[in-house]
Amino acid sequence: MSGAARGTFRARIVRSVRVSPSTRIVVFERPNGFPEALPGQFVSVRVSEGIAPLLRRPYSIMDLAAGEIELLVKVVGHGSALLAGASTGTVMEIAGPLGGTTFPDPGKEPAVFVAGGTGLAPMIFAARSWKRRRLLGPAALVSGAACGDELLTTLCEADFSSVHGATIDGSCGFEGDAVELLESLIGAGKISGGVLYSCGPAGMVRALQQRVAGSFTGHWTSLEAVMACGVGACRGCTVPLRGGALKAVCSDGTVFDAGAIDWEAWEG
Amino acid sequence: MMQTFIGGASLRNPVLLASGPAGYGLEYEGLVDLRRLGGVVTKTITLEPRAGNPGRRLQETGGGLLNSIGLENVGAAVFFSEKLPALLEAGIMPVVSLGAEDWDDYLRLLDAAAGREGVDVVELNLSCPNVERGGMAIGTDPELVALYVRHAKETLGDAAVIAKLTPNVSDITTLALAAEQAGADAITAINTVVGMDIDVEQRRPVFRRVRAGLSGPAIMPIALDAVWRISRVVDIPVIGSGGISSVRDAMKFFMAGARAVQVGTAVFYDPALPEAIVDALERDGLPGSLP
Repeated sequence: MSGAARGTFRARIVRSVRVSPSTRIVVFERPNGFPEALPGQFVSVRVSEGIAPLLRRPYSIMDLAAGEIELLVKVVGHGSALLAGASTGTVMEIAGPLGGTTFPDPGKEPAVFVAGGTGLAPMIFAARSWKRRRLLGPAALVSGAACGDELLTTLCEADFSSVHGATIDGSCGFEGDAVELLESLIGAGKISGGVLYSCGPAGMVRALQQRVAGSFTGHWTSLEAVMACGVGACRGCTVPLRGGALKAVCSDGTVFDAGAIDWEAWEG
Repeated sequence: MMQTFIGGASLRNPVLLASGPAGYGLEYEGLVDLRRLGGVVTKTITLEPRAGNPGRRLQETGGGLLNSIGLENVGAAVFFSEKLPALLEAGIMPVVSLGAEDWDDYLRLLDAAAGREGVDVVELNLSCPNVERGGMAIGTDPELVALYVRHAKETLGDAAVIAKLTPNVSDITTLALAAEQAGADAITAINTVVGMDIDVEQRRPVFRRVRAGLSGPAIMPIALDAVWRISRVVDIPVIGSGGISSVRDAMKFFMAGARAVQVGTAVFYDPALPEAIVDALERDGLPGSLP
């Protein structure tokens, strides 16, 4: 990635909107000179000026338009709590856009997006940026959450031709997880083929690849990982591929052909 | 004024990126201007490529970072044919970190490095805690440290040889003296401190190898103490490394007796820090060592 257009910027939070009990959309003003980004790329945010937490936190870009960088932030620990709790006007250092691979557009085929939790962010970015560039035909979103309160499908109903929600507790939409919902949609003939895109917990993506990927012409997934450098230097975020090679999620990804990943060996 | 000498080699200033976090250098394009630094200590190179350790490799701790990378690297052939020339082409001063699993590998690696363009300074990684063979197993024994240093000096001709030492011993000065007597041109202190962590929910150690290497601000007092003590018993330059996370931290290392510093983990969260240290040194000069 040498010579890649990216940098470190100080960026101001211009909006922070609660979208579920655990999750907010945090919007940074796009700093001057912040390069264009493609779906699947991420920024790494220094959520504290001090050393707690020590590392920057990687977030998929949910949208990059109209002078803003949108991130979807679920509180899962100290770092995300600082970012989600930051008030409007707070300035943080962000590095980006990072990520050496991006989602290939679906060409003439229909696109099926499957998101678990905040894995929705890169799905939204892909749908919006392809739509702006007239690269998106029929596009279905299948999104799962633990319960109705956490289901984020209402955020993006305008971005997809159809939106399907699943909740584990059955409080909203389909009762079950996103993979089971997709299986039922395929079984009912409501989704048939196309290119599969996914982002979410390793268990979800593994199940997608093992159970439904055969119905699609390809399955591209943006992986999540604990990262340190974010640029491929430290080799801290490796994912095993079939055949044994270890690739850095940050720089060899984040987008991988899901069929190339050794799902038995990867803990996610 | 900022020029720094390690053996016969000259660095433009005494601020380097530490081995490991630095990768092969060019990964940081756009985030760090490596041309402004005294040098970049590359990832440790072994004779054959290494895939590194399976499973989880990173875990944050209070003020620190545990890693179990396991010396993942492209191996000597690719490093010397691709990575090193790219650094030189970019105008970046390389310090080549070398590691070996055993003595035969080590001799062959030295042969591969000897006389190459760009191999003016090497740092011997005698202290990695994350591998089964080599690494810390060598670096905790003063006689083996001396043996490895002596062979490097004999094989590498005019290249300067730095010995990077582990703090995971009862007295690091013994290692430093052994390295100096064997002809080392400088000492880097310290490598990571051994530690571990446990995943409470899964009821198992976080890392498959259980033990890992701790870096970051949490270990800085340990590193500073090592530099202070080593610089009082050796005459060769000591390069301070371990948890530097501010300009002020770097100043402390110079005051403890270091002649150069390396920034490692901090570059992950504050990539501007190495250049900020250079700026401060250019503005205010090197702080003198305390008596």
